[in-house]
Amino acid sequence: MTPLSLIAEITHRCPLHCVYCSNPLEMQAREIELPTAAWAQTFQAAGELGVLQLHLTGGEPLVRADLAELVAAGRRAGLYVNLITSGIGLNPVRLTALTDAGLDHIQLSFQDSQEDEANLIAGTRAHAHKIELSRRIKQHRVAFTVNMVVHRRNLERLEEMIALAEELEADRLEIAHVQYYGWALKNRDTLLPTRAQWERSLAVITAARDRLSGRMRIDFVGPDYYAKYPKACMGGWGSSVILIDPAGRALPCHAAGSIPGLRFDNVQERSLRWIWEDSPAFRKFRGEDWMPEPCRSCDRRTQDFGGCRCQAMLLTGDATVTDPVCTLAPRHDLVEAVIGQIGLPPHGDGNWVYRIDPPSLVERA
Amino acid sequence: MSDLSGASRPKLRPGCRLRESAGDSDMLLIPEGALRLAGTGRKIVERCDGRHTLDDIVRELNAEYPAAEPGRIETEVSTFLERLLQKRVIDLEP
Repeated sequence: MTPLSLIAEITHRCPLHCVYCSNPLEMQAREIELPTAAWAQTFQAAGELGVLQLHLTGGEPLVRADLAELVAAGRRAGLYVNLITSGIGLNPVRLTALTDAGLDHIQLSFQDSQEDEANLIAGTRAHAHKIELSRRIKQHRVAFTVNMVVHRRNLERLEEMIALAEELEADRLEIAHVQYYGWALKNRDTLLPTRAQWERSLAVITAARDRLSGRMRIDFVGPDYYAKYPKACMGGWGSSVILIDPAGRALPCHAAGSIPGLRFDNVQERSLRWIWEDSPAFRKFRGEDWMPEPCRSCDRRTQDFGGCRCQAMLLTGDATVTDPVCTLAPRHDLVEAVIGQIGLPPHGDGNWVYRIDPPSLVERA
Repeated sequence: MSDLSGASRPKLRPGCRLRESAGDSDMLLIPEGALRLAGTGRKIVERCDGRHTLDDIVRELNAEYPAAEPGRIETEVSTFLERLLQKRVIDLEP
């Protein structure tokens, strides 16, 4: 079994305060972030393991002054280097430095098509800069993806968001419904769309894909609370992805830290190969031996792998049960109860909690 | 379906490139994915540089594989380039 992707969360520091931030609730401070050389060694080890793609993410990766060095280190390790960014901190000089270092792909996140709404979600004024930056990106030889995160508050503007991506000449558009982990779970009741909104979004995407076929690729991630079957989270636990957090801990996914009792080994203490092949955390839910019923005897177990372990943990308190979003799950009632409450008081619109930096990280202009 | 013709000059799009390290097999890396190249795939992709025309690629491959059935390479190259166009891996240079 070979990992295909390495997700490097090189920092948890971020100038945005998105109400659906996917970072863990317990973020890590600047002081314990891996230094440049340790990341470079990790990328080298990943290349030797067979990893193809490196995703540099955060937090906001641009807050690290050594980002261009990290891009170059990824390329030296034979990896395809993708940067996932809000664009805050990216000026023309730095953009050139990154593409000169060999950056293959840049994914720029937008919070909305309308400036005031976008700034409201991000808790900062970022939208206009992103528009300007997109035009700069198109002057470089790098693949350009526009990322849009959608939820109850902005879904009505989905067509407008697609039009914005077209106008910005994105090679690829990624539209993802918020997934309810980390900070997003705190704000779930103000962000989760209604069923009617979800169905409409699906129809809009289908029409846009037809219209833009061969011109702009659209990838779409649904809100799994409305799915009949769970998502194949991470393509199966420990089967294709390794995530390294800012301090060097290796996790099977973004939210795995929410599962109690798992110990995540650090790339500064153990080899990446050992972590991938033998560490208890990566073996915990690999394959089918851990599966409960109804997954164990289900024909779909090789397609969705029982769904998401972290979601099982967050919704039922037990990481070893079937993902409750599955309509066959014994605790699917938990998801139905959430859906049944959407839009009812006290969970009206805008009643949300911004993500703020941990005390040691506050950097305000 | 597309504008592909003998005079087309295919060129890899930004963010699409051959894997440099000598792995077990030839891989074409693209945003959020990779395509495993079999057969003449690598030789075709190497020539998607905006200078070779489709006809050039066919002629060069025919020279490399003189034993290939007549017409076989032309069909292979056209079909393969159509697929790359559809996946947005190449553009056709004017």
